[in-house]
Order: sequence, then structure tokens, then C-alpha cells
Amino acid sequence: MTANEREVRIAATELPAPGEIRMVEIRHHRIGVMRVGEEFHALANRCPHRGAPLCSAGEVVTDIRVTGDGALELGEEGALIRCPWHKWDFEIATGVCPVDGQMRVRRYGVRRDGDGVIVSLDSPRRAGASS
Amino acid sequence: MLIDCDVHVGYDSLLDLAPYLDGPTRELVEHSGTNGLAMPSYPWYHPSGWLRKDAYDPDLVAQGRQIPGQNLDTVRRLLLDPYDVTYGILTADEAAAFSIIPNGILGAKLATAYNDWLLEQWLQEDARLRGLIVIAAQHPEAAAAEIRRRAADDRFVGVFLPGGARIPYGNVIYDPIWQAAAENGLPVAVHTHFDGVGISPPVTSAGHPDTYTEYHVLCGSGMYGHFTSVLLSGVFERFPGTRLVMIEGGVVPFLGYLWRLDVDWKACRTEVPYCRRPPSEYVWESVRFTSQPLETPIEEDALWPVIKNLHPEQTLMFASDYPHWDFDEPTHTLGLLPEEVRDAVAFENAAKLFRLSAQVTA
Repeated sequence: MTANEREVRIAATELPAPGEIRMVEIRHHRIGVMRVGEEFHALANRCPHRGAPLCSAGEVVTDIRVTGDGALELGEEGALIRCPWHKWDFEIATGVCPVDGQMRVRRYGVRRDGDGVIVSLDSPRRAGASS
Repeated sequence: MLIDCDVHVGYDSLLDLAPYLDGPTRELVEHSGTNGLAMPSYPWYHPSGWLRKDAYDPDLVAQGRQIPGQNLDTVRRLLLDPYDVTYGILTADEAAAFSIIPNGILGAKLATAYNDWLLEQWLQEDARLRGLIVIAAQHPEAAAAEIRRRAADDRFVGVFLPGGARIPYGNVIYDPIWQAAAENGLPVAVHTHFDGVGISPPVTSAGHPDTYTEYHVLCGSGMYGHFTSVLLSGVFERFPGTRLVMIEGGVVPFLGYLWRLDVDWKACRTEVPYCRRPPSEYVWESVRFTSQPLETPIEEDALWPVIKNLHPEQTLMFASDYPHWDFDEPTHTLGLLPEEVRDAVAFENAAKLFRLSAQVTA
């Protein structure tokens, strides 16, 4: 990894695989970087519910849903992060809790940089993130 | 100062108790089944994990080496030190099952061994820790003997009973337990656990729920049954000095039951003559409630106007339920209460009940 004041680069060999969480730190911000499908996303290591270490101790999970005909199906694989304390889930791509839209995890910018990615303290939109 | 009235600890397996067991019981523990004796447990699994995921090392758990979040170093690192806990009251986890297995003689032997283990592995190791005496309620005489055996040791500050029981705790068959506890000035704590497991009936009379989620919403129901039973059966009159603690039954529901109790007592008091005064009077004097899981209305302001009627300045004590998934974080819980009652809930009420001083002495 290389870093300037507001950014950290994660090399290709250190990128998280789907289901994994890679922790980085920028200016005392602890950030969890995750991959859903082909996209990388970065969330604050703080659950908005009670302040638990969401990324460093949480886990990536897959949603279970009911289809229109009443059957059960899996959601997008590994698209949620589950808080280690009270087990609330948050969408990795948006930071939003699926059952309480007021609960949002802070998101950080992620952009491709060659075969690696750069995580920044900027908001995802300003950082030009694909997420 | 903070006293946490519900810190769960446990052993890796019953085999850990082997050094503390008599020969015949050790033989059963080691050779029952295919891997030794095991306790009954819930018929549901928690869908996302019983415990805080940051409280254990998954690799150690895979080897069967660590009960999640329940080794001393972890309890110190995640609870006692960061929250500056003055005292942690240790409550049973699997050991609560000793009270709901059919064989009361075996349950009593296991309880005695557990209390020895608790003393040696925990209470002797950190001066901030205090224990509740685990007993086998289905064998009241043996339970009373166990209370008397431990009573002189001030590291044990009360008696532990699970919410799951064969019949409600005010029934006269339990009199030996109340008598031993009252004689020795030990509060009896009833803690939601194993309701509907072993010899205890379903968590409500609707029958066994399909899911853990249903169970968890309902699991205080056993607590309300014991609360009502102990009050109306006159335990507080028959055994002067009795003190009762309701752990993990929530707070708001007790208030509704108490209102109903006072009204019904007026009409039906000739049936329950040992309950000589309105049940609420016994509650203010002798019953205490722990805070977790504190009800959390969407509008947080709605909580205090309700629970203030339970006189929290006198009856409520903080509990975290560490390391379970519904852990209540102390700063947040206390912050929901008006400043004028925070010290009472954080430590004053528990210090009085458990006779704990402000200074921890090693």
C-alpha cells in the first residue's frame, strides 16, 4: 500500500476477495474495503446503531428474500455486512440498513488505479467511485 | 462507578467440571453418550449468532478451545476495562440448564461443581468479579444446601435461577430455597434462560414458537410468571428479608403486570392471604430489575414517561448481558435515562442489593 494524506492505495495482491474485508486506515479513519461482484466499496468501521466495530469484527453475508410466489431465494452474493454486536445488516454498496433507511454507515471513495484501487476520505461521488 | 449485573461466563464443555465432580458424577460426565454428557439446549439456532462476533477467536472455537467471549482476558478487554466496570456479576450460561434437566440429583451435583469452578477460574482471578450461586431448582433441598455451603463466601452475592422451570418459583415446593437465601441475606436472581427447554413448559401457553425470533420476543414470559407467583404466594411475608432480582426480562412489561397485580389482589386477596399488602409495596422494597434488554421505542422520548412509574431510582440496575448478541452498551443505556437517576441505575441500587462497596479490594 502507498498513501498520501487523504488516500491509500491497495495493490492487486492485497485486494479483498468477495466475502472478505480489508481494513485500511487514513488519518485515524478506520475503513473496511469490500468487494461485491466486480465493484469495490469502502465503509466506516463504525456501526451507526451503537458504535460497534462494524468492519474489523463484522462479516459479509448474503440476504435471504421471499419471491413473489412465496419461495425463498438468496440475494446478491455477499452484498451485506453484518454488525458483530447486534447483528444488523447493511448494504455494502450503499451503507444503508435494509430494514431501517435512517441507519446509514459512512461511505468512503474507492476508485480503480491500474490493477489496484485507491481508497480516499472523499465521498464516493467526489472520489469518482464506481460504487 | 459501574456495576454490570449480567456478565455471562461459561466453560468449554462439561468435561471442564470433571476435576470438581465426585467420582460417580465424573464417570457419567465422561462416558455418557458418545462424547460425554451434554446439556439440553434451545431447539432453535440464532439466525446470525448468539454472541458478539468480536468476542471470540473463530479459530479457537473451531478447535473447541474457547467459549466465545467467555475467557477472562476477553471479558477484561471488551467489558471490564473499556467501560471501567467496578463490579461484574457473573451469570450462568449453559450451567443454567442444571436446573431444567429431569434428574435433579445430577443437576445438583453439576451445580456444586460449577460453583467450585466459578470460584477457582473466575472469582479468585479478578477482584472485580462476583458470582451468583447456581443451583438445581428441581431439587430444592439440595439447592438449599448449596446456598448454605456458599453463603459465607462474600464473592458469591446471590442465587441464580433460570426463567425455565418445572413450575413457578412461588410454589411451596421451592420454600427450602427461599428460606436458605433469606437466612443468609442473599438475593435470588431469576434470569431469562432455557424457557421451554428440558422440563420447563413452552415459553408461552400458545405452544412452542416456530422460530428463535419469536422465542426471543416472548422469553420474558417465564419471568412474568415467576414474578407474579413469588409476589402472590407471599414469599416476602413467609421468608422475611427475601429479595428478588429479575434479570433480562425487560422493564416495561413488569409495570403492566404490576398494575394488574395490584388491582386483582384487591378482589382476590382472600385466596392469597400470605400476600398481605398490595404487591407493588413488596416490589418497591424488595424487588429489583436489570436494564437489559431495555425497550427501545422508535421515539426514544417515549421510554422514560413509562418506566419512571417503576421507580427506576430505586428498582433498576444496569446490565449489559455481555457477550450476547443483544448486549446493551452502558453509555447508551444510561444516556437514555435522566441524569438524576443515572448513578442509581449505574451502581447505587446494585451496590445496596449485593452489598458491594465503592472500593474494590483484591
